[in-house]
Amino acid sequence: MTAAVEHDQVYAIAEEVFSAMIDGEPGYLRPWDGELPVAAEPLVAWVDVHGELAGRAAVTTDLETAHELTRALLGMGADEPVGPEDLNDAFGEVANVVGGNVKALLPTQGSLSLPVVATVLPEVPGTSLTHELRLDWRGRSIVVVVWLFQ
Amino acid sequence: MRALVIDDSRTMRRIVSAALEELGFTTLQAGDGQQALDLLESGEEVDLACIDWNMPVMDGLTFVTRVRANSAWRDITLMMVTTESEHGQIVRALAAGAHEYLIKPFTPDAIRDKLDLLGLIPAEEHV
Amino acid sequence: MSLTQDTFAFVADVVRRRSAIQLETGKEYLVESRLLPIARDAGHPGVDAYIREVRAAQREADLTQIVDALTTNETSWFRDNTPFSALRTHIVPALRAERPVLDTLRVWSAACSTGQEPYSLAMTLSDVLGPGARFDITATDLSERVLAQARSGRYSQLEVNRGLPAPMMVRYFTRNGHDWQIAEELRRTITFQQHNLLDLPPHGPFDIVFLRNVLIYFDLETKRSILSRVHRVLRPGGFLVLGAAETTIGVDHDWERVPVDRGSVYRPVQAGAVPSPRPAPSTLAGVVPGTTPAPFAPATRPGLARPVTASTTTTTFPPTRTRPTGSAFEQGVTR
Repeated sequence: MTAAVEHDQVYAIAEEVFSAMIDGEPGYLRPWDGELPVAAEPLVAWVDVHGELAGRAAVTTDLETAHELTRALLGMGADEPVGPEDLNDAFGEVANVVGGNVKALLPTQGSLSLPVVATVLPEVPGTSLTHELRLDWRGRSIVVVVWLFQ
Repeated sequence: MRALVIDDSRTMRRIVSAALEELGFTTLQAGDGQQALDLLESGEEVDLACIDWNMPVMDGLTFVTRVRANSAWRDITLMMVTTESEHGQIVRALAAGAHEYLIKPFTPDAIRDKLDLLGLIPAEEHV
Repeated sequence: MSLTQDTFAFVADVVRRRSAIQLETGKEYLVESRLLPIARDAGHPGVDAYIREVRAAQREADLTQIVDALTTNETSWFRDNTPFSALRTHIVPALRAERPVLDTLRVWSAACSTGQEPYSLAMTLSDVLGPGARFDITATDLSERVLAQARSGRYSQLEVNRGLPAPMMVRYFTRNGHDWQIAEELRRTITFQQHNLLDLPPHGPFDIVFLRNVLIYFDLETKRSILSRVHRVLRPGGFLVLGAAETTIGVDHDWERVPVDRGSVYRPVQAGAVPSPRPAPSTLAGVVPGTTPAPFAPATRPGLARPVTASTTTTTFPPTRTRPTGSAFEQGVTR
């Protein structure tokens, strides 16, 4: 997916997802400046694209940020506790919407898997990372990664 | 007006339902196409269905085809609400019988605009 | 990174005065995120340093750029829907019935913003007039920035999601990366040009004028003078379409209101047919007696007031004059 998917386009997708569904207006997402902090409790959500061109789109962050994303998506209060089911579903949906839009950038028609949420992204032999987009959402780091399966 | 919101993500069901309720709809929810068909077959009557594409058990495109095949449901307005955003996918959904197509991500205003096109905004909601 | 209170207060004040949009406390992060790319382009490490320079230099262009960056300008396709169904079911049939040959239909889309309105008009007219239809649309706005996007015909996915009927989307749009590109066949029916509604109107005559959600921002005298200029470029028997909350009633008497669907459209009454409270034609182009300088914008924009008399001494239609963007009311911003 290297040639097919441009960095700027992945950024545009992330911006739209955040402005429309998470923040309600654009302006809260920007490129991350400098080194990424190491997440104490990492969390990752991803979807796979199957087809002539196949790959994976993933969103990684830390647990606390995933809680914040869930609260924003579900319109919850600032201190409302987030249950594990809501967390998995909401964070998975972020990856799903990002992944579906990344899929549409491909020149060939593919199909999308259902989202998966885990603490680590499992390695798939023979894959190569094509994009790593480091984002700053209200001072928190979120990384969107796009992989190519060979 | 009653709407059936079909999506395997409860987050998305809640977002779509909230936007519809804001516009005066009452909503029913289903987690996949089969559940939605079961609701219709049990006699639930709806004016609108908002349908995700990728779902387990029965996907949204199959659901649309099944609804269109049954003349008892011909008055239901079908709107895809999905992350599938290729030109060709929109063509497929329309060919299968969907009336409208909303791409995720969307804002609540985008839902309102679509329902306005479909003539489903109650008159008192018009400014 | 954070903004000083001083910087935030300055930016909020500029935005409030020019767009009537209030940036409340708590929006500091938003202000910084949106202005940071501009600050960096201008060679500053952060927004505070950039705003210091803006305040020292007092350049109009900087202020325009700041307001542009902070005011989202979302416009829908087929906005409000009713005017476009009126076009299909009432306006075009009426024009057809009254003319032996409906040759090239001319439409003016005033304050067209990023182009959704004129393109929606083009889609509707293509449909209703059928194959070989001849029409041309003059689309104008004050802001060169919104016109540049309108001319390009390229829209983000969030933009095409707003009110564009799916059948129109598949027919007239193709994907271009993550964006969507409108068909050339529609683009070539539209001429985009910069225009201030307080100046002489674009070259008519027009059969249809769409002037929606603009008059609400002006005071009575200015509304009246804008309507009288529109009147002059509208063909007898033509149609004026205003925003849902706007009317000519109580403003200008030279119009007949025609109820259509849930709304209304307006037709010009022939000059002389109705006693006119309007000033004589030689002074129509912007000068309303007794108001000098003529009110230009709502009271929330005192900094933008400017006499509208400057350019109105000729009675012929000059070519479009350009003026520095942002030196006046940004029609695109408040829609």
